[in-house]
Amino acid sequence: MTDQATERAQRLATLPFESSGPTSVRSVGGFVSAVREIFGQKELLDLLIRRELKSRYKDSSLGFVWSLIRPLTMLLIYYVFIGQVLGAARGVPDFAIFVYAGLTLWGLYSEIVTAGTSSIITNAGLIKKVYLPREIFPLASVGSALFNFAIQMGILLLATIALGQFPLSWDLLYVPVAVIIVIIYGTALALLLSALNVYLRDVQYLVEVAILLFFWASPIVYSWSFVVNATVQRGASWLGELYLLNPISISMIAFDRGIWKAGSEQRVIEGNVIPAQPWPEHMDIRLVITAIVGLVFVVIAQRIFARLQGNFAQEI
Amino acid sequence: MSSPAPESTPVVVRASDVSKRFVIRKDKSLKERVVNFGRSNKHKDDFWALRDVSLEISAGSTVGLVGANGSGKSTLLKVIGGIIQPDTGIVQRRGRLAALLELGAGFHPDLTGRENVFLNGAILGLSRKQTEQYFDSIVEFSEIGDFIDTQVKFYSSGMYVRLAFAIAVHVDPDLLLVDEVLAVGDEPFQEKCMAKIREFQKEGRTIVFVSHSSAQIEDLCDRVVVLSHGEAIFDGGTVDGLEALRESFGR
Ligand SMILES: Nc1ncnc2c1ncn2[C@@H]1O[C@H](COP(=O)(O)OP(=O)(O)OP(=O)(O)O)[C@@H](O)[C@H]1O
Ligand SMILES: [Mg+2]
Repeated sequence: MTDQATERAQRLATLPFESSGPTSVRSVGGFVSAVREIFGQKELLDLLIRRELKSRYKDSSLGFVWSLIRPLTMLLIYYVFIGQVLGAARGVPDFAIFVYAGLTLWGLYSEIVTAGTSSIITNAGLIKKVYLPREIFPLASVGSALFNFAIQMGILLLATIALGQFPLSWDLLYVPVAVIIVIIYGTALALLLSALNVYLRDVQYLVEVAILLFFWASPIVYSWSFVVNATVQRGASWLGELYLLNPISISMIAFDRGIWKAGSEQRVIEGNVIPAQPWPEHMDIRLVITAIVGLVFVVIAQRIFARLQGNFAQEI
Repeated sequence: MSSPAPESTPVVVRASDVSKRFVIRKDKSLKERVVNFGRSNKHKDDFWALRDVSLEISAGSTVGLVGANGSGKSTLLKVIGGIIQPDTGIVQRRGRLAALLELGAGFHPDLTGRENVFLNGAILGLSRKQTEQYFDSIVEFSEIGDFIDTQVKFYSSGMYVRLAFAIAVHVDPDLLLVDEVLAVGDEPFQEKCMAKIREFQKEGRTIVFVSHSSAQIEDLCDRVVVLSHGEAIFDGGTVDGLEALRESFGR
């Protein structure tokens, strides 16, 4: 045996064994070690995020500009048709900021969920050949969605400054809270759905439809006061409560409260007095509870993911 | 016991009673599942691709894994590599692993060769700096030249394997799993790979080698494991192993 070989053997003898076998779903310890494993692969995560961003527009000549054209087109559509033609802007001050804020946060959520759902399938080439903590793929989708979100958030802030509506108040703190809640729920769903999608490809299409549907279940193109009018004043306040149980709705309201200055003020549009938005009661507590429930959901989703990922390589 | 002193040849892979069952569902979509709901068991075929395989591989050895088509060789390699989980049994492993499984490494088709080198480096646990150090010799070994900046989806299968092999042997693995990938390389490249594998043997690295070429097995391996219908029916010397392989074909 050569010296090099002996040296290697000696080193190997000191290493602990890593073992793989059937995983148990119930151990929370499994969650902790999975998190640790993923943190050990930060470099890889970083690379995968960049890959996702790069390959998305790789063969297009406008490249990243496309990631701006889409939301701006949506803004235009909602601003013109919902705002002006259907008249929603008459009840919502600074409608453009309001809609763009909604679209920005919604864009983050829907991108995390849709890209996350298909993330395992799109990375089949890697999954079939190498061992990795597979959570990394949905997480890379979260990362690239966050990157796009950051750009749009930048535009949003610039717009508020340009229009003289920069929301300089403590309410601005609602913005990061809302974003964090959206990330929590988006991540949980991305983990869960990406794993299910391997076994049942219909999940992907189901998600697309659900995203279309849920767009209208959050105050994005209509304001929270509209919901209050439609429920409380008709004696169906439980419906409003139900609405707030949707984590994205409550985050959306918090986001608006933070970034959309006009929402917290009384404004006059075309002679009509628009009162400040009737922000929900106990909003802070609601947000805290929503976040905690979301974290539990993440742990559960990861455990299910861990259980299902054992057979990924053979199913895709 | 007359086993060699543990510090000279530590065990690198230990598989105990590993079984793997595949369930083949013929219905993937929701519609088909709903339609076949009541009869879903009829629509499942399952069989054991691996049955109670136990195996210990000690550092520095080169194990040839042989068997007829469909006997479970690739499945066993994937289980050892942690890419699929066994249904029962446990696989323990230590040291850095590089795997070349069935046509190619884990490449991302949309990325260029260069980007894939860094991706694979990161997967194998190298930092960006370390990969940068190895980069030039990887490209040189693979001989793919300027194609390194082409997306790998435009590579020929030989080029693909060249790059994959070059990466796998440059990341300083302790354990190398090779599944038939060399067959698509041209002759000079196969020679080069063989030479590299011999060098690896001298450096005390462990190699598990799947091949249908008895000549290559005889040439490289010091131990042969024969699989037949998911069971390890032989484990021992190369010559006897190849004999057992020939006998197993009839079954
Ligand atoms: N993902 C999968 N789903 C279902 N069955 C599978 C899957 N992968 C492999 N099998 C089955 O398991 C058995 C063993 O396959 P495996 O690929 O391990 O054979 P092999 O020994 O590598 O054969 P070959 O010499 O042709 O490469 C085969 O019958 C194959 O059909
Ligand atoms: Mg095979």
